[in-house]
Amino acid sequence: TEWNVSLWGKRRAFTEHVEKIAELVKAKTNGEFTLNISYGGLAKNKENLDGISIGAFEMAQFCAGYHADKNPSITVLELPFLGVDSLELENKVSMAVYNHPAVQADLARWNATLLMPTPLPQYNVVGVGDAPTALSGFDGMSVRATGGIGEAMAALGAVPTSMSATEVRQAMDSGVVKAVSFAPHAHMSFGTVENAEWWTTNLNPGTVNCPVVVNTDALASLSDAERDALLGSVDEAMAYYIDFYNEKTMAKWGPLLDKKGIKQITYDADAIADLKAKVAGPAAQKWIEDNKARGLPAQELYDLVVSTVSGS
Amino acid sequence: MAGHASILSDDSTLSRIDRAFFKIESALALLGGLAVFSLMVLAVISVGGRNFFNQPLPGYVDWIEQLMPVIAMIGVAYCQRLGGHIRMDILIGRLKGRFLWGAEFFSTILMLIVMILLVWGSWSHFDRSFDFNAPLWSRDSSLDIRLPLWPAKLLAPIAFAILCLRLALHAWGYARAFVRGDEEPVAVPLIEDPAAVAAAEAESVSGMDDDGLAMGGNRNG
Amino acid sequence: MDSIDIGIAVSAAMLVMVVIGVRVAFAAAIAGVAGLVWIFWAKKGYDGSQFLWALTVAVKTAGQVPHSKVASQALSLIPTFILIGYLAYYAGLTKNLFEAAKRWVGWLPGGLGVSTVFATAGFAAVSGASVATSAVFARIAIPEMLKIGYDKRFAAGVVACAGTLASLIPPSAILVIYAIIVEQDVGALLLAGFLPGAFSAIIYASLVIGMAMTFKRLGPPVSGFTWKQRFASLPGAFPIFFVVAIIILFIYNPFGGDAWGTPTEGGALGAFVIFIMALMKGMRWPQLKSALLETAKLSVMIFTIIWGVLIYVRFLGFADLPGTFAEWIGSLEQSPMLTLIMILMAYAVLGMFMDAIGMLLLTLPVVFPAVIALNGGEGVSVADSAFGMDAVGCAIWFGIIVVKMAELCLITPPIGLNCFVVAGVRPDISVQDVFKGASPFFVADALTIAGLIAFPAITLYLPQLLLGS
Ligand code: NA
Ligand code: NA
Repeated sequence: TEWNVSLWGKRRAFTEHVEKIAELVKAKTNGEFTLNISYGGLAKNKENLDGISIGAFEMAQFCAGYHADKNPSITVLELPFLGVDSLELENKVSMAVYNHPAVQADLARWNATLLMPTPLPQYNVVGVGDAPTALSGFDGMSVRATGGIGEAMAALGAVPTSMSATEVRQAMDSGVVKAVSFAPHAHMSFGTVENAEWWTTNLNPGTVNCPVVVNTDALASLSDAERDALLGSVDEAMAYYIDFYNEKTMAKWGPLLDKKGIKQITYDADAIADLKAKVAGPAAQKWIEDNKARGLPAQELYDLVVSTVSGS
Repeated sequence: MAGHASILSDDSTLSRIDRAFFKIESALALLGGLAVFSLMVLAVISVGGRNFFNQPLPGYVDWIEQLMPVIAMIGVAYCQRLGGHIRMDILIGRLKGRFLWGAEFFSTILMLIVMILLVWGSWSHFDRSFDFNAPLWSRDSSLDIRLPLWPAKLLAPIAFAILCLRLALHAWGYARAFVRGDEEPVAVPLIEDPAAVAAAEAESVSGMDDDGLAMGGNRNG
Repeated sequence: MDSIDIGIAVSAAMLVMVVIGVRVAFAAAIAGVAGLVWIFWAKKGYDGSQFLWALTVAVKTAGQVPHSKVASQALSLIPTFILIGYLAYYAGLTKNLFEAAKRWVGWLPGGLGVSTVFATAGFAAVSGASVATSAVFARIAIPEMLKIGYDKRFAAGVVACAGTLASLIPPSAILVIYAIIVEQDVGALLLAGFLPGAFSAIIYASLVIGMAMTFKRLGPPVSGFTWKQRFASLPGAFPIFFVVAIIILFIYNPFGGDAWGTPTEGGALGAFVIFIMALMKGMRWPQLKSALLETAKLSVMIFTIIWGVLIYVRFLGFADLPGTFAEWIGSLEQSPMLTLIMILMAYAVLGMFMDAIGMLLLTLPVVFPAVIALNGGEGVSVADSAFGMDAVGCAIWFGIIVVKMAELCLITPPIGLNCFVVAGVRPDISVQDVFKGASPFFVADALTIAGLIAFPAITLYLPQLLLGS
């Protein structure tokens, strides 16, 4: 069996679990089952879920926030200030949500089965100009931030500004935005770190959720051995991914900040707790209301996230 | 390579339908032109808002992404009516009479087939983003301000369906010319030699420079 | 047949369709849809009962492309630049530019020819369309040149060639299209076009001066302008500099502070300034309406090629043809520079018969990855690369060269559209005359291209200086 896998961009930390699972599956089936990974050739990133639904390819990655209305259930994982502080926990919370029947039904509309998450660290902010050493420093600052993170920034008085990821570097260099929220690997690959002057170490406003899904029919039509090889490789691929992100990306990040002389801003715990109380509650409440209207058990999903985080 | 042609008319049914349909196509094309114009206005609002009021236009990119399909697709039949989609006519331009109309009929039918398929495909793209039971009927939304995407996606099958009607008219026109053995049939774009294309191009920019504004009345100096 | 063979067969069929006169956008879309059906059906072993499935998946895959690919902020520069070009005619800038150029450089040998080159280069800064630029200057510059005894072939040739500058000097729709297809920063490509455009203009001007000095019969200089008259001519040309300044300020602020926005905003604001100027010059609804209709038609034509070709590109993605072709090019046992020159030669031949935009869109999806591979791949360091630049630099450098090649096709027989337009404006000058007048400028263009290849800094200096990439 040969599967096509639709990713985008280039091979990077963000895609290492898919590369790993391809390697594992091939080895376990003696080359009987192969995953052909394509970076951008099969679909645009926002159309990966469409491609799965059509059956054009069998596996794909996408981010929930690209199209909230396509996958409302998993946007719960993009709410601000959920308090997730490690990739391991992000993985655990994501899997808990992915295994909820309502979430599986939500994705089933696209003929998609959730396979594994792409845990990302918190989207802290790099910026230029006056460093916001207190949270009040964000007042009036234009920030590139989307989704729940945008809401968190707006609560600080910042002005979330929209643009595509490829325009972000230029927008920052040109002063259209003063600050950008990304995961560290993206700060490095989109170059926002190049001219940055400061970095928030513990604002931890939230992250994005980017699952890897497979086409449900294609999964069903695999032989038992192939299916076992695929599903049985998820844990190992995730362990590899988390290790890779921590060892290769995060290990580079700290020294890079030092090398570039980027000021690292750490806010005191009380200020963050205040902000959390101010933003997290209302944002969660709004998410629950909106998604009840879509017929989702929104409260239940939110509680699942909270209990998983606090139970860890 | 040419993207220009002339279209003859008479009082036949075909020609009358052609001209009536062209009115609809022209109105839609003008809508596309106004969408380009509004890109300009949006930028002025966005830049002005950001620099003078510290208030960027929320969802500026989302709105542009909604406008682009209008600009890119709504005039597609208008452009076909005028023979404006470029092609290489170095070979087909040498044909005459029935050979020419036969060849034109063949390539028009090919285009019609692919466009009918794309009406289906783009409709299904729209259909996946549309849900009667969802708020705003939306099952797909933009990144920043979560505009529903289905209206912009619906534009593609509509514009393509109009193009299919235009292609059907052209197919009819070429078939008719083939059967009757016309020299200069009505209601289809006729290939012009490069000199005529150039003359038309020159015509389209004359009356645009200083001295030409006399046509518009308000000339100063 | 494996997927590579399918890729080659379908691509060949597409070229046949283009040659027999199927409109380019649709030839590409037909090839793309048919190719997708073939690929999906092959996956099911050509099982008859699976054909409908393959057709459905192919059609739905292709049906995503038009909306999803055109709904892009970066692409919004194309209609904006087209609108700027049409509004610029109403803003009355061309005559003023030519007058200013005449007073400042008319005293040189071949002075009016040199003036035409520089006035056209200036107009190129508000116009993105080469053909229309030639048409405008044919009406303004040729009568003046003939009046003082210029050779008519020479006069017509200068105008036809100078018009090609419009696509190199920003704003340029074709540079934006290139940037989108190869997924590079639009702002960087636009900045990169400035110096090569100026370089090309200087080479044209030098050739005009050289020819005028060698063959006295070509045309006398014009002299006798006072400095006062020279400076008096500047305000009329000033709006051009204003618009150029706006577009630059939205890409980069030379005063060290913040730039004012993104290139897409800068383009739209430039259009707005020209719009206001045109209003002041007397443009009213009838002219605006015709400008909007022309903009809509040209935009739709370009976007139809874009989505049509991208359906074909989507098929290529499933067939993995570009990757395989790039590997093959990279494995050739000859110097990368020789391969590059052969690719450019192929463009020169293709350009004789094809339109610039269609030619670039049809070929770049396969050729561009091959050129990047030729340089040493995506992640190559400057030291290890074949052409002495990283992948991003190579993308920009190749883009400018290939756009210059595409512009050359506007003045080469048998279908040099700029030459036809000049002949169309001047009934007393035949197309053959214009082609003959333009032929010395092939030498100038060959020199320009050689210069751009030999000195990548001409192209890369500005983007590196201003964007630091
Ligand atoms: Na230009
Ligand atoms: Na040519």
